[in-house]
Amino acid sequence: MKTILLFSLLFFAAGTLTAQDVVELKMPNSNKIVVKLMFRNGSICDPQGKEGLTYTTASMVAQGGAGDMSYSEIQDKLFPWAANYYSTVDKEVSIFTFQVPADFADEFYPILRDVMLKPAFDESDFKRITTNQLNFVEQGIRASSDEEYSKKALEDLLFRGTNYQHMKEGKAASVKAIALDEVKSHYNNFFTKNNLRLGIAGNYTDDFLKRLKKDMAQLSSVKPDLPKPGKANMPNGIEVEIVAKESAFGSAIFTGAPLAMTRADDDFAALMVANSWMGEHRKSYSRLYQKIRQTRSMNYGDYSYIEWYEQGGGNQLPPSGVPRSSNYWSIWIRPVQIAAQLQKQYAELSDIPIGHALFALRMAIREFDLLLKNGMTKEDFEATRTFLRSYIKLYAQSPGAQLGWLMDSKFYGRKNYLKELDGLLAKVTLDEVNKALRTSWQTENMYVTIVTDASEAEPLAKSLKENSDSPMSYSNLVKSGLPKEVLDEDEAVAKYKLNVKSVKIVKSADTFQ
Amino acid sequence: MKLKLLSGFLSLIFVSSVFAGEKILPYPIHQHKLDNGLNVVTVPFDSPDLAAFYIVVRVGSRNEVEEGVTGFAHFFEHMMFRGTDKFPKEKYSAILKSTGAAANANTSNDRTVYHMTGNANKLGIMFELEADRFQNLNYSVHGFKTEAGAVKGEYTKNYASPYQQINEKMRDTAFDKHTYKHTTMGFFEDIVDMPNQYDYSRTFFKRFYRPEYCTIVVVGDVTAEKVNKLAEKHFGDWERGDYNTTIPSEPAQKETRTLHLQNGAIPPYMGLNYKGPAFSDKEIDMPALDVLSSIVFSRTSDLYKKLVFEERKLRFLGGGAFDSRDPNLFSIQASFVSKADMQYVKDEIVKALEKVKTAGVDPKILAKTKSNLKYSFAMSIDNPDRIANSLCHYIMLTGDPESLNKLYAFYDKVTVDDVKMVAKKYFVPEGLTIATISEDENGGVK
Repeated sequence: MKTILLFSLLFFAAGTLTAQDVVELKMPNSNKIVVKLMFRNGSICDPQGKEGLTYTTASMVAQGGAGDMSYSEIQDKLFPWAANYYSTVDKEVSIFTFQVPADFADEFYPILRDVMLKPAFDESDFKRITTNQLNFVEQGIRASSDEEYSKKALEDLLFRGTNYQHMKEGKAASVKAIALDEVKSHYNNFFTKNNLRLGIAGNYTDDFLKRLKKDMAQLSSVKPDLPKPGKANMPNGIEVEIVAKESAFGSAIFTGAPLAMTRADDDFAALMVANSWMGEHRKSYSRLYQKIRQTRSMNYGDYSYIEWYEQGGGNQLPPSGVPRSSNYWSIWIRPVQIAAQLQKQYAELSDIPIGHALFALRMAIREFDLLLKNGMTKEDFEATRTFLRSYIKLYAQSPGAQLGWLMDSKFYGRKNYLKELDGLLAKVTLDEVNKALRTSWQTENMYVTIVTDASEAEPLAKSLKENSDSPMSYSNLVKSGLPKEVLDEDEAVAKYKLNVKSVKIVKSADTFQ
Repeated sequence: MKLKLLSGFLSLIFVSSVFAGEKILPYPIHQHKLDNGLNVVTVPFDSPDLAAFYIVVRVGSRNEVEEGVTGFAHFFEHMMFRGTDKFPKEKYSAILKSTGAAANANTSNDRTVYHMTGNANKLGIMFELEADRFQNLNYSVHGFKTEAGAVKGEYTKNYASPYQQINEKMRDTAFDKHTYKHTTMGFFEDIVDMPNQYDYSRTFFKRFYRPEYCTIVVVGDVTAEKVNKLAEKHFGDWERGDYNTTIPSEPAQKETRTLHLQNGAIPPYMGLNYKGPAFSDKEIDMPALDVLSSIVFSRTSDLYKKLVFEERKLRFLGGGAFDSRDPNLFSIQASFVSKADMQYVKDEIVKALEKVKTAGVDPKILAKTKSNLKYSFAMSIDNPDRIANSLCHYIMLTGDPESLNKLYAFYDKVTVDDVKMVAKKYFVPEGLTIATISEDENGGVK
């Protein structure tokens, strides 16, 4: 009897997660249950010299053994149910997402519990996981997509010297330096009940949620020592880093500068209107797209951003799960042609010194300058606001996405961001939009990263340094049909001076060191 | 121990009973064919105020039979955004923006899909916009020439990936006559030449953008009655065409083919590409191959456990058949830790396939695999877009969205003997094309 009493006391002492840490979204018609565990940690918690440790730790939990089962045995068990789980790590959060058909919720639950509470941290899993992680930082990022490469290179510049600089997967030297014991202690110190937000959506029972809350309160009781997120550096003029690669087919460009506001600020909705008009992701009716792609057909698309957009090459709509408190705005110019390719394709372009990168960059920056000078028109403002108020409703279509956006809301101190955003958009005025864009954007001081072919790097760097004219080099086929206003505009763009203060060429192998 | 076995057994019985006698898509598929041959498919789904509006055109790079026009189906997809007399591209963009929809298009071997997902109350405008461009597309010669640059830009961004490069070479090697020889992007020299093909583009439009090639799919907060009325109103006068592409048949391959890409910037890679069947919802071959690919190559397979988890020779192993209208490939892909293991891994894969030919597969694993296939699908269809995409996939293959339900019903019928049969039929050395990437000059895998 005494033993039982003592046990009960211990249980109550351990407690359960508090209501404010749990986001619930009950959907009795759904055939599944989605559980998300969001830890406030992220790659900013990686110790110096061990960059990538949070990523390794989350991967060891999500792709390793747990309890008395190996990872492989867990997969066998989940297989007939098609249940699955995975981890994602960003700068300031790590998230574990579990998905199971409601039919198997009770059988699945102990696995979820053991994965989170009793990760095996097996040596063999560790070797497998870190081999893949190392491969990504050594090869994957450089060799898979030049667009993603230039985006990560831009972050590397913007946040240099801060805990926001390194990729979540780490760096070659730091991944090699991570030891299994460090993973165990990182799990204990940074994946705790004190920095956890729990989310659940779908067709779950009260009992399922009760067990989940009770069990997740058994996570480490350490109060994590969360570092302050690094802020983006303000460049001195336009600072360019050209990454020279062997056999690149084009020039992939990203440019950006610090931005003080986030979704937590009401003004963010006003800036969103201006950004959507200028460069809504993957939308043909935004300004940059129309100028660079539609009229001149220089590349596949051109967009602008006022917050991090995960995997822009694959996602049509912004995914949840990457909330950040340090922010910057950016322009994405998808790969444009290099001189060597244009020379090969068109006899009339056989003597051009550089490809389209400088012209495209000038054009994008000039468009921002024009907007800063002229502001949005009433007509564009109304059309864009109307668009956004419908469009943001598409962000969260599935139970998992709805849950994710609700959990992100809490990160920014909001209850339901998408709903609140609609309210903010409804009442925002044109003056507020024009004020927000002028206080948030400037083009005098920007970082620029260009991943390009080795043959293009030197001539491009020279043109940038000298701020020399960069006339647009069309094939005769296209040039002959261009209207005068386009050619006139081209001339203005070609001569448009940028506040270039430094241009550096780095070899691909020397990036992310 | 006995208890554990019993509970496993019970859960398997439960698994197979959940879907017993039911269609995999738990929502009725309403079909209505217009007099001109345009099929209209509606699936009402509980997504308040939201609807996905898709149009599948059963034309893709498969139809590019003429010399010098590879990549044209995809290029034409771009041209569909270049405007009409009624809605020139600026006006089209402005109206599309006013709907607040997520709209785009994409092309593959066998089809081109145009989609808009947005407010169900805007369906009328969406129909009007789409009906106009599908019937009255009218772009200028200059607009045509200009758009070709965007396609080149798309090729340029894709080309950064060595996996895209090897895929292009692999198809060129594996096929001799059939148009699956080229990718949907097309050969680069044809892309560079696209601006010169204006006349062909008009022919292309007249041939394929016809009601008999198209199916409208609407999923979401709608009724079939409303959708059918809109279809009749906006597409009812669309004139039927009469063009049929004669796709060259692929002659039987006689021996193993190899190709290699020298590139040390990514981990060594090997693709084993066997000639496989066309999709069918009447023959057992494709369902049996789907089951086989899961049993032999999924993360729970013996081969995966050995090569990835235990020996750690591979970073990744996967395999599966392409769902295609004509016979295509069954591709097995492996990413290596060390290039020294390429031949060993190839031999292990062949050994695993040979074992299926002689010993078949474990019936318990077969049952679990069928359950996995069904539950994976059931969990995936949680919004209108996903359902519309699935329906479009099967419309592409057979023209009939019910093929989705038929295929999943077929999975239930796959036996151990069926799996053995397809292993013997398709995994033969004379049907194999080996593609490799490594820093070496030659792949060296036999």
